Parts: sequence; structure tokens; C-alpha cells
Amino acid sequence: VQLLTLDVLDRGVRIGCGDSAAWSLLSGTYGAMQGGRGRIELEYTVRPGGVSGSFRIERGTSEPLVASDDGVMLTLFDADLAVELQRLRRDLYFVHAAVLEYHDAAVMLVARSGGGKSTLSWALLHHGFRYLSDELGPVDLSTLDVLPYPRALMVKRMPPIPYPMTVGVQTSRGTHVPAESMPGDVRQTPAPLAAVFFLDHRPAAPTPSVERISPAAAAARLYANALNPLSHGGDGLDAAISIATARPCFELITANLAATCSVLTGALARIP
Amino acid sequence: MTDERPQQRSELSVRVVDDEVIVLDRSANQVHQLNVTAAFIWRRCDGSHTAERIADEVASAFGVDGDTARDAVGVALRQFGQLGLLGLPRD
Repeated sequence: VQLLTLDVLDRGVRIGCGDSAAWSLLSGTYGAMQGGRGRIELEYTVRPGGVSGSFRIERGTSEPLVASDDGVMLTLFDADLAVELQRLRRDLYFVHAAVLEYHDAAVMLVARSGGGKSTLSWALLHHGFRYLSDELGPVDLSTLDVLPYPRALMVKRMPPIPYPMTVGVQTSRGTHVPAESMPGDVRQTPAPLAAVFFLDHRPAAPTPSVERISPAAAAARLYANALNPLSHGGDGLDAAISIATARPCFELITANLAATCSVLTGALARIP
Repeated sequence: MTDERPQQRSELSVRVVDDEVIVLDRSANQVHQLNVTAAFIWRRCDGSHTAERIADEVASAFGVDGDTARDAVGVALRQFGQLGLLGLPRD
């Protein structure tokens, strides 16, 4: 068993990998969070399953998760880790989002699954943005800093030119690009939230566009994308409002990827 | 317009943000954002205002004629009802 020890949101996580396939997938996905200075608070073992190509994920006394293939294993593992992190860090407000750093501040991209946030992140990493997190946007409500969660970026479809993806691990669910293989740097420390963009993916739209939205509209959308709202007072609504009233929020209709990057950076440049 | 006196369901979580309103309906697992006009109407769904009186107040506050106000109130109340945000009307 090879041990992968991570420092995730200031919590120690240890993953025992039962074979080279599990090690390759998990170290590729979470390798940028390798650490191990502190106490281990979460412990997994991932072993080969009974059928060739399958996996079995074990955590404490919980019912093991059985995955039929590599992509399913990473999906199940990621979902379980996200839930456990929400349990360990109830103080954070977890938003389903990708987060990048630009000019020393965090830019949050919020969209439903399949809404194009990972693909847009990949493109923006070619324009001076640094990688902070994908899937989880953990916000410290006392500072409005976003904590890093630099797991591999996963895209279901290959991004178009001029942003081809020539690195990454292919699984049944998509292509996973380890943080250390990304075109931009990885930020490993919290970054103050600068803006939130809610993506509306419209491939057929002639041009992308961006529009500032009201704090109420932003708060409602943030709440709808929060993963642990009930861990917070007022059913989590007040936390969403505090973020939305403190930071500019935009609706971004995405279309052509290069043009969308340009529209987004233009909106950021106009923030006082 | 009827003598209906619309009333917000009591178990909703409601927040006013600027001139707009956010309504969280945990039982339906839905969150709604009401724009300025809808929020104005929503705040008067207290079981004491009739729809007609709300329309009068909309006309006065937004400087629109009575028909326009009644239409707006009718549409808003129908939507609130369809979303399950209103309780049983009082007599």
C-alpha cells in the first residue's frame, strides 16, 4: 500500500492506495495538496475491486464505495471527500465553483455541473490567471478569503483551439489535468475574493456578454450553489448575502472561449 | 380583482437586500429572488392588504395607472401562488 498524505483546507488526509492504478489516479488528482505536517483527520484506503478495472473505496466504518472504473472511482472519492471536508470545516461556506487567482485576488466561477466552468478555467489559465480550486470554492466568511483546493481540473470534452489540452489523464468521465501540469501557476494560500461570475453556457450565442447583477440576485444564486448552507446561521442565507453584498457579482453568458476570456478580464478591469 | 387578502407562508425565510427580497422555501428546497416590484407586492402580502389595495399602493409608489398596477399585482400573486409561497387567504 502506497500512502498519499494530503493537507486539505488545513486538515490532514491520508489515502492508502492498494495498487499502482489507484496511486496514479489519486496522486495525479490530489498531488498538489500533498503535505502531512498535521494530525490525520480523515483516512481512506482505495483498493482494486473484485472485477478487473474496478475499485473499492474504504473510509473508517462507513459502507465501502464500489466503483466500476477509474472515472467513477474519482467521482465517488471526490464527492465523499467534499462531504467530509464540509463536516471538518463547518466554518467555511462551500460553493460549487471553480476559483482562479488574478492579480492576487480570487475570481469565482459558479455554474451547474457541465456548465463550462472547468473549460473556462483552463482557458483563463492561458491569460495570466493562477489556479486555486475546482469544484469546491471554500469561503472563509470572516475574511471573505477563498481557500485553495487545487485538485486536478477535470473537463468532459477537450477545449477548443486556441486552448488545446495536451496533458492529463483520461478516465471514463473525462480528462483530468493535475494542478502542476497547468499552464498557469498554482496558488497554495488563501486569496481575497474579488468577484463572482455566474456562468450561463450558451454555445450558440453570437458573442459572450457580462452584466453586473444585484446583490439579491447574486445571493440567491450563491445560495443555490452552496454545498453546506445549513451549517451556517439563518439557513445559510445570511452568509450568501454577506458575500453577495460585499463583492461584485456578474452574470457571464459564455460563448466563444477566447472572446469569453476577454469579456471576463474586461469586467475585472472595470472593478474599482 | 377580488377581495383576496394574500398572506406569506409563515415558515419561509425572507431577507430584504436593498430593494429586493430573497425568499427561501426549505420545504420545497427552493430559493427565489424578487425584483423591486415583486418585493414591494410581497411585503404587502400580510393577510391584511387586499389585492386591490396592493394595486393602489403599487400605482402610487411606481407612478403607473390603475390597470397597469392591477395587472402587475395579479401576475405577481399568481406567480407567488404557483411557487407555493402563499398560505391560505383569510376571509
